Amino acid sequence: MSSLLIERPLPHGGRLVERVIEDKRVARKIWKSCNAVYEIKPTLHYETGVPVRNVYREIMSICYGFFSPVEGSMKQAEVERVLKERRLLNEWIFPYPLIFDISKDDLNKLGVEVGDRLGLTLKGKPFAILDIEEIYEIDPEELAYKTFGDPETNPEVVQQKFDKKHPGWVIYRSHQPYVLAGKYTIINPPKLKPPFDRFWFPPRKSREEFEKRGWRTVINHQTRNVPHVGHEFLMKCAAFTGDVEPCHGILVNAVIGVKRRGDYPDEAIVEAHEAVNKYGYIKPERHLVSIVLWDMRYGNPLESLLHGIIRQNMGCTHHMFGRDHAAVGEYYDKFATQILWTKGIPSFGFPAPPTDVPYGLKIRPQNMREFSYCPTCKEMAYSETCGHKREKLSGSFLRGMVAEGVQPPSIIMRPEVYKVVVKWWKHFGYPFCNEKYVINKEKELEVDLEDL
Amino acid sequence: MAYFMVVLLDDSRMEKIKGTGLEEHIKYMFGGELRLLEVEVSEDLKNKILAEFETARVDSRGAITDVPVAFMRELFNQVVEKKSLGPEVVEGVLAKIGEIKEMAAKESEYLPPPEIEV
Repeated sequence: MSSLLIERPLPHGGRLVERVIEDKRVARKIWKSCNAVYEIKPTLHYETGVPVRNVYREIMSICYGFFSPVEGSMKQAEVERVLKERRLLNEWIFPYPLIFDISKDDLNKLGVEVGDRLGLTLKGKPFAILDIEEIYEIDPEELAYKTFGDPETNPEVVQQKFDKKHPGWVIYRSHQPYVLAGKYTIINPPKLKPPFDRFWFPPRKSREEFEKRGWRTVINHQTRNVPHVGHEFLMKCAAFTGDVEPCHGILVNAVIGVKRRGDYPDEAIVEAHEAVNKYGYIKPERHLVSIVLWDMRYGNPLESLLHGIIRQNMGCTHHMFGRDHAAVGEYYDKFATQILWTKGIPSFGFPAPPTDVPYGLKIRPQNMREFSYCPTCKEMAYSETCGHKREKLSGSFLRGMVAEGVQPPSIIMRPEVYKVVVKWWKHFGYPFCNEKYVINKEKELEVDLEDL
Repeated sequence: MAYFMVVLLDDSRMEKIKGTGLEEHIKYMFGGELRLLEVEVSEDLKNKILAEFETARVDSRGAITDVPVAFMRELFNQVVEKKSLGPEVVEGVLAKIGEIKEMAAKESEYLPPPEIEV
């Protein structure tokens, strides 16, 4: 093989974590060995009581290998190391603490101790187990601050102190104060509900799919949005990276989880991206839509690190990063993610980019600016190439247009994509996520479980 | 950064602004496929809007977006009433904040979808 050719990277940590038991007989035996059983509940906003996270999504993403090499709820020493150096105890880089938190009341009711096996039910059905290796207490507020950094400690990229307007900060602030640490194992694999089922490509399956399609190089497009034509051009043009030829595949990986009010519903997001290939704007042989279960923390450079880990685990060779990647507000520098992937951020434990540090990532960043409409060129144009005055495309502007019932011109949103938005608008009675959507979604979740 | 709010113009809205003198301020975007007016918003008014509406955002162009539809409808009414695109338009909208919030509370539950074949 030519030395110029890029090969599919190994999973982060060297091997895929897979902690899912498919054999029901084995699963029943394991379930019987549990010392106590706990029904998973959504994490509720510490002030408003609205759901902000469900730990089941973390368990799914850990056990199916999206977060390899993480295998469970982190021990105290590991959380401290992640917060200080963004590394796990086995040295591999990782951005966020992932923990199974529980209230004092629940801990007392369960009466579990280190060495016990806790059975976890979801929607009343057996789902997973947690083998308890450590029980400790946290201060959720301190955890929230330390997770995202602050302007004094991380002056390179953090611009303002985090607060309750930041949804990721709220997630950690809303954690319960006791942590059960240990490995998770799914013993009753949930079934993804339509339309999510056809987009479920956990790392082993996505790697097999890439192999089947002959995709040696694959660039990932992170999304939590319905695609406008600017996104479509971003995908098409970013894919011209690669090695001796453009990337063979474009993987759209949508983050499915608790949403912010005003975002599009997850159902519309995945089907709208699918419409891009279904109607030939990018041919389906080159474009695949997939999902990952995760309640976004909006940690800009830190979130990009997690995205890099997830997509490397899925088998991608490249990852596109834009301005304000996975950001909300002005907590971070607009280019914090691109700074991380080109120079590193020493105060977050990266004196060099995450691809250039020991136990780092192999996936290659493709830092992109933006596409907007150029009335002179009469086409979508790249900000760093086109020399004319362009009309910026903004997702928020489009949302406003949609809400007012104005169909966006096809030059900025494909009519088939708009139809998907209206399809789910008719279904939910609302084009975007509202409180009712968030509450129902967290009640019903994206999955169903069978009896064990 | 200069802030503004966009008022989209469909055919029925075009009728209403006829003769107001605002026609000459109409902007065309995306190869002429979209007509709109831009209403000026001061720093102070921008802060008030963001404080009043949790979903409101300022996008990369400096446009204030994601306010309730009721707000946007009243914005257009004020444009027509004041025959202006100056900050007094948003001031006029904010003067009716109670009424708008009441309507916004209902519209956060339901918005009628467009009648198109899906």
